[in-house]
Amino acid sequence: MGVFVLLPLVLPLTAWPIAHLATQHLHPRTATGLLSAMAAVMAVCSTLCLGLLMVVGTAQLPGNPLPDGWSDPEVRESVPHDEIVGKAAIPVLLTVVMGCGRTLWRHCRVRRQAHAAVAGLRDTSVAILPDDEPYAYALPAGPRDRIVVTTALLACLNSPERRALFAHERSHLTARHHRHLLIAQLAAHANPFLLPLRTAVSYVTERWADEEAARSVGSRRAVARAIGKAALVSRTTPAPMLAALAAPGPLPRRVAALLAPPPRHAPGHRSSPP
Amino acid sequence: MARPDPRPQRRAQGELETQVLTVLRTADVPVTAAWVQERLDAELAYTTVMTVLSRLLEKQAVTRVRQGRSFAWSPAADEAGLAALKMRKVLDREQDRRAVLASFITSLPEDDERLLRDLLDQAADESAG
Repeated sequence: MGVFVLLPLVLPLTAWPIAHLATQHLHPRTATGLLSAMAAVMAVCSTLCLGLLMVVGTAQLPGNPLPDGWSDPEVRESVPHDEIVGKAAIPVLLTVVMGCGRTLWRHCRVRRQAHAAVAGLRDTSVAILPDDEPYAYALPAGPRDRIVVTTALLACLNSPERRALFAHERSHLTARHHRHLLIAQLAAHANPFLLPLRTAVSYVTERWADEEAARSVGSRRAVARAIGKAALVSRTTPAPMLAALAAPGPLPRRVAALLAPPPRHAPGHRSSPP
Repeated sequence: MARPDPRPQRRAQGELETQVLTVLRTADVPVTAAWVQERLDAELAYTTVMTVLSRLLEKQAVTRVRQGRSFAWSPAADEAGLAALKMRKVLDREQDRRAVLASFITSLPEDDERLLRDLLDQAADESAG
């Protein structure tokens, strides 16, 4: 066995090229499923591996907090430098568990509070808030899904663009994109090598929603203009960015993708037999 | 008293707005700013209460009627203004909003902005031509 025991911890390094290839070559819907499933599997394997190492580590602590039977001599033999690696695994696993716990807790809290904020309004699927800050969010909640949008954002869009905005948000809700995003976030906490997958999943879910919106309003251009205008109008918080990394960000890429022909295997176009 | 800079105190500002609105909602009839000031938990200057009230007025969360030489204030009938305030509070507390809610709006670095404008111009040209 030897170093191969540690393989699940470093295998997520492959996430970077896979994420890159999937975002470029797959339909956003396929890419979302593939990438989030991959993130989940790799994160679970990596955490299991950490757990195994932790058992090796705790067995060395005075007054082993876990049952002695858990630490198998054979397992200990197979881990290289088992004393160091085992002990190091304890704080690492604790960090992973705490990080995931915090992410989950925050996710639930924000969703609960956001729903509480709009609870007083009439029970419509779209809540329009009078606010001078432009934003739009999809609030998932089973049958009581809601879209929240401010008057400031609506004011800068014309009517096809507004339809595109609503179609985009509705697609986030019907396809349950928040679940994919949450999985990718938790995975990134479980193993930092999975961070590229988190970025990629958030990009492909947006692309998926863009494509769905384009299909339902029947104009790719309207969706492109809607997301472009929305981004330009909210240019109040410039993101800190290193000049060296100034590759085109996700938004211009989404707009460019919408101005290009639709991706192959587009929804609705069932692959016809050759 | 130095006038507080609204930018860095945005969160405090949002909390004040909610507090003032809560007090206003306890009144059955339109009330004066002094009435609100008396009932607030926080010790606030009269001018601060007035600032908060006019901010709420801009957001259409409250309405006012002239009463003699001053205004009488009451919470706006529509719940939308209040919902907007509450929503803003939730969002302001979350440093990384995108981490939780899939957002329609992305912050844009400068280079991206230029690129995006070019793309949109191109889109406009093509649809016109």
